[in-house]
Amino acid sequence: MSSDAHAATSRVADVPLSPHFGWAWWLAILASGGLVALLGYTLLSVTIVGVGVWGVNIPYVWGFDLINYAWWIGIANGASLFAATLVLRRHDLRTAVNRFAEGVALFAVICAGIFPIIHLGRPWLFYWTFPYPATFQVWPQFRSTLTWDFWAISTHVIVTSLLWYVGLIPDLATLRDRAKRPMVQRIYGVFALGWRGSVRHWAYHQRAYRLVAILVLPLILIMQSTVAFEFAVTLVPDWHETRQPLHFVATGLAQGLSIVLLVAVLLRWGLRLGRYIDEGDIDLLGKLVLASALVSGYLYIDEIAAALLSGGLTQEATFTRMTGDYAGLYWTAIVYSVLIPQLFWFRSARLSTVGGVFVGVSIGVGIWFDRFSIIVGGLQTDYLPSIGRSYSPTLSETGLFLGTVGLFTALLLLFVRFLPVISMFETRHDEHEEKSS
Amino acid sequence: MGEKTAIDLEALRARLATEEGPRLWRSLEELADVPEVRRHIEAEFPDIVQASQIDRRTLLRLMSASLALGGLAACSDSGKNSPLMSQSRNMPGTVPGVPVTIATSMALNGYGRGVLVKAQEGRPIKIEGNRLHPASLGATDVFAQAEILSLYDPDRSDAPLQNGVRRSWEELTNFIRPVRNEFVFDEGRGLHVLMPPTTSPTLHRLIGQARQLFPYAQWHAFSPVDDGSRQAAAMAVFGRDVDLVYDLTQADAIVTLGGDLFAEEPGHLRYAADYQARRRAPDRELPRLIAVETRTTLVGARADERVPLRPRDFEAFVEALATALKTGSVPSGSHPVIPRLADALRTAGARSLVVAGREQHARVHALALAINARLGAFGTTIRAIEPLRTLSGEARSLGDLAEAISAGQVSRLIILGGNPVYTAPADIHLGTLVRRVPLSLHLGQHRDETAALCTWHIPESHPLESWGDLRAFDGTVGLRQPATMRLKPGLSAEEFLGLMAGQNTDGRGLVLAAWREAWGDAFDERWARSLEDGVIEGSAAPTVDVAIQPDWRLEPAAPASSAGIDVLFAPDSSVWDGSYANNGWLQELPKPLTKQVWGNAVLIAPETAEVFGLASGDAVDLSINGRVVRAPVWLLPGHAPGAVTLPLGYGRQSAGRIGNGIGFNAYAVRSSEAPWVASGEIRRVGEKLPVISTQQHHSMQGRDIVRVVAPGEAVPPEPVHPSIYPDWPYKEHAWGMAIDLDACIGCNACVIACQAENNIAVVGPEEVAKGREMHWLRVDRYYAGDPAAPDTYFQPVPCMHCEKAPCEVVCPVNATVHSSEGLNDMVYNRCVGTRTCSNNCPYKVRRFNFIDYQGTDVSAPSEAMNPQVTVRDRGVMEKCTFCVQRIGAARANARVEDRRVADGEVMTACQQACPTQAIVFGDINDPNSSVSRLKGSPRNYALLGALNTRPRTTYLARIEDPKENG
Repeated sequence: MSSDAHAATSRVADVPLSPHFGWAWWLAILASGGLVALLGYTLLSVTIVGVGVWGVNIPYVWGFDLINYAWWIGIANGASLFAATLVLRRHDLRTAVNRFAEGVALFAVICAGIFPIIHLGRPWLFYWTFPYPATFQVWPQFRSTLTWDFWAISTHVIVTSLLWYVGLIPDLATLRDRAKRPMVQRIYGVFALGWRGSVRHWAYHQRAYRLVAILVLPLILIMQSTVAFEFAVTLVPDWHETRQPLHFVATGLAQGLSIVLLVAVLLRWGLRLGRYIDEGDIDLLGKLVLASALVSGYLYIDEIAAALLSGGLTQEATFTRMTGDYAGLYWTAIVYSVLIPQLFWFRSARLSTVGGVFVGVSIGVGIWFDRFSIIVGGLQTDYLPSIGRSYSPTLSETGLFLGTVGLFTALLLLFVRFLPVISMFETRHDEHEEKSS
Repeated sequence: MGEKTAIDLEALRARLATEEGPRLWRSLEELADVPEVRRHIEAEFPDIVQASQIDRRTLLRLMSASLALGGLAACSDSGKNSPLMSQSRNMPGTVPGVPVTIATSMALNGYGRGVLVKAQEGRPIKIEGNRLHPASLGATDVFAQAEILSLYDPDRSDAPLQNGVRRSWEELTNFIRPVRNEFVFDEGRGLHVLMPPTTSPTLHRLIGQARQLFPYAQWHAFSPVDDGSRQAAAMAVFGRDVDLVYDLTQADAIVTLGGDLFAEEPGHLRYAADYQARRRAPDRELPRLIAVETRTTLVGARADERVPLRPRDFEAFVEALATALKTGSVPSGSHPVIPRLADALRTAGARSLVVAGREQHARVHALALAINARLGAFGTTIRAIEPLRTLSGEARSLGDLAEAISAGQVSRLIILGGNPVYTAPADIHLGTLVRRVPLSLHLGQHRDETAALCTWHIPESHPLESWGDLRAFDGTVGLRQPATMRLKPGLSAEEFLGLMAGQNTDGRGLVLAAWREAWGDAFDERWARSLEDGVIEGSAAPTVDVAIQPDWRLEPAAPASSAGIDVLFAPDSSVWDGSYANNGWLQELPKPLTKQVWGNAVLIAPETAEVFGLASGDAVDLSINGRVVRAPVWLLPGHAPGAVTLPLGYGRQSAGRIGNGIGFNAYAVRSSEAPWVASGEIRRVGEKLPVISTQQHHSMQGRDIVRVVAPGEAVPPEPVHPSIYPDWPYKEHAWGMAIDLDACIGCNACVIACQAENNIAVVGPEEVAKGREMHWLRVDRYYAGDPAAPDTYFQPVPCMHCEKAPCEVVCPVNATVHSSEGLNDMVYNRCVGTRTCSNNCPYKVRRFNFIDYQGTDVSAPSEAMNPQVTVRDRGVMEKCTFCVQRIGAARANARVEDRRVADGEVMTACQQACPTQAIVFGDINDPNSSVSRLKGSPRNYALLGALNTRPRTTYLARIEDPKENG
């Protein structure tokens, strides 16, 4: 290993290997740890008392549980789709951001995975959706979108973890080699799976990495579509639309990209990784975010057009969503996820840290309101007017949501602390190429 | 633990003696934990007690030990109750596990309604109507259904109280005996008895006997829901008091002047049934029902024409109507509907009927009687009988009692039942007065407001625990027999009077004696028959001949002040006069028109509310003669402008854990001069008070939800839509339901019958406010037409049991599945609670256990549960099952007898309770079943049929004659 290459990656590798990490990290982990404790409390209370601690009712049987599920899934999907595309296209940008993107995807899917289980009336029986040979010989209902969802999310967890882990193996080996304490060496060693950096290893690794990345592509479409099917397949007038999967995939992509951008900008600033995530990378990401926001905007227009064409109750339901009690959610979604990202037409906005954070957060918020508007606002118009009620989240639900945000942040913080946030082997590879050319 | 103490057998016996028989059965496990018993067990079975950790075997041994000791109670000879027998062999006709049905009578406002009580192993679990009883014809109202829960009310009084301190029955007896001797000695001087007027022949007989024994005692009758003005009118017009019985099957035109013929009259169930029977009569034109009323009522909702009218305008209205009928010309300035009304009545002639509600002034009643007489309705649609609801002999009023107490003439006061301290008009200040009486005795089921102020309170038995008899609206006597052993020690009013009259406290003996006297030699045979039937054959009161006194006169009502707003008091559709305030089923029952639960509100017309700047839920201070009550308002479309209605029965302080502090107390502004209609003022307070309603959208929004057809018209048929799923084959039965919207009057009996039958949880006001009520069957109420005088439509919505059920395909764990007989079955123990089935149900009839509703403070006690129906755990979905337990029972019976289940053999709980037979259930595979015939009607339609869910429950369109709506 040449000394140049060593220099190129040492800054990245130093981070997880350094014994101290500064007060800011500790402060952040403390804050997110507090939120994780809140998550634990809300999970416990809902398990013990029941989903009655939430604001859900009939007909609003789903509230924050599904809103946040759909939202986290959106982040996970967008981020892994982005990472996989980079891997497959061998794009320059991948050196800089695909490790975050994979991490973001994995942590988001962990957060998302909490909700389908905890939102059950009897969460300890969640495994009944598994097709296992039970003594009472009852199988899952394979026509149910929730069964599809079980398959989708479990596949998603597996593939996302694989993508992240496979990409990490060579770097884990680097960390193993550089670690000073034997205990740390052993831990990284186990996870490096005996990586020695032989040519054969590299060949297998490239094949595996790209294979998993290819798997991600259809999976993302399937996953988002399955979430959308949970709504589109029902008879609820506002939900029962074929455009739902497209809406979820496209807005989910915008949301995932924005969160990748947010994390990239923050890491670049926080860990001073400007050399690895350079201006070109950030600019490119910004353009992608802008493009995806435009696609979201197109889909909102499509929604209105579809409503105008559909007529009847569907039309009424869509317009109620735009003008009724929950209209604020709908318009907030549009402002935050479509209009604010238009700032990125300006190069300076794309390159500034503040601009990246602002737009990244704003799209995330916007899509969250979009999911809120679909799941809650979409139920305002039903077939029988007599059943109309209203939904508002309780403290417990809000706590649960903040808790998952805390969990996500805590996982990210641990990730930057203990694992290389930027792919060292890819960076080395790129720098070699630059040198040889 | 090992130390053995001497067995205090005496103390143990004393303790066990205070337990009533059935209590023993329930409390053996509890007994094991009582110190004395524990000591005794320690002495007798030391090895059991020393087992530090109780395993199942030890527990069983411990229980059998306490069982053995339970027998000790039998060693005492103080058993003052009926026998508790051990049977070595079953009684013929009873099989353990198969419920026993007992015919009895329940009172509402003193009048009897015949019911059949289903008791499982001696535990009443369900009340049905008695087909043989004229006031029921097999149907029930919400109050009768809910008596089951009242029976098991944990707040029911279980021990005598002296000035609020618990006393034993022995102490009570020791106290009463000398007091009674004093009464006898001074012939009842200074003794006043206050009780609600009653129709019970046994009570009348006992009162008569007591009057002989205490000739100087004064008897006062008081009921907050009184018929004072009706009596006054009869006295003026006929010169005698009578009760009126209507025959709606004969009526072609009915005009109601306030009141609620279908909910508040003594024969309301019968009247609703008769009216529907009249509508169904094949060869006759539809009858015409016109409701002139201030508030909106069930009869108003059902009426062909509704005329909202302020209370103060009724007298002039009826006067004009009477004049129009008499002279043929309408007085100028009278209400525009008068000519039409007069025409309708004149056309119907003797087949017309004018009914005045109890809140109307005596002159309105008198004029109504005169109109009926002029039209010749007496003898066809209306007949007069001897008044039933009285106290035999001279009965004074509550006002007289108040005067007597003020004058210091009352030294002993006996309050027999009721809760007059709460229900008395505010100007009487009965609470203060009662405290002035040196000795006051109260017999009541609860430690209520009256009990708290009396020197002694004596627990009263529940009607399902005691003997008695009641007359129905037409005089027919129904016997009241206990359906259970006494769950809590108590006396019935009969028994208390028996004690006073120097007889025994054996309720059965007292009733027996009354009827032995009446029947003589034929007693044995008639008694057995009457007990079995629940009614005494041929006991209906004969018609008395009445003639209008041509020169009758009644003072017109004092003109209402022009400044104020008219205030109308009304019994509440859920808690009546407040006596049902501690009943969770009734508190959570959405009121027919407002759909309000857990409280009452000042009902006001939207246009009047606008004048005051009020919206639903705004608090107002309502004052009448300086007495003020703060209450929320509720905008009720169709309410007469310029008036408000105050439902009685809420704002109770000592009702119990359910009823305390719910709603506002309208009695606080009620006065004895104007008990029903007063003039008051409302002032906006500027704050909000919670009003919980289960329905927040009131219009059908132009959709075909409740369909209306003209007579003979058909509903346009729904085209058959294809489905990608193959049809299910049904070899045997295929259950289905038809709901006739033309018959539904929105009375809610089905809702509560369903709740009682299916162990449906009471969730409490906070949960209902969140939209989590559990009723499997809801009655949707829609308004249509002019907002000031809207048409009201009721639509009961149970599970539709769709052929292509959308809920079935979306459940990931297959917890809701199609049965071989076409039921959409809910498998509770498979449900994990994703709630996605509810999302996909377009009718939203699925209900979810968001928390453990059966373990809350408001949930029904487990004794009240139907053992045939699973009690649902938290986290599972539930919904209407078409009473699958009843289908199962019928199927088992049929299989034993090797035959098919016959049509009508399975009745769902809702169907059975319905007074108008709006709900019909049966086998749609059988083309001759009544449900198949109904589904063949041109009026039959599927709710949301275009969704192709193919519901098994279909509706029959309401019939409205377009030419009648003028």
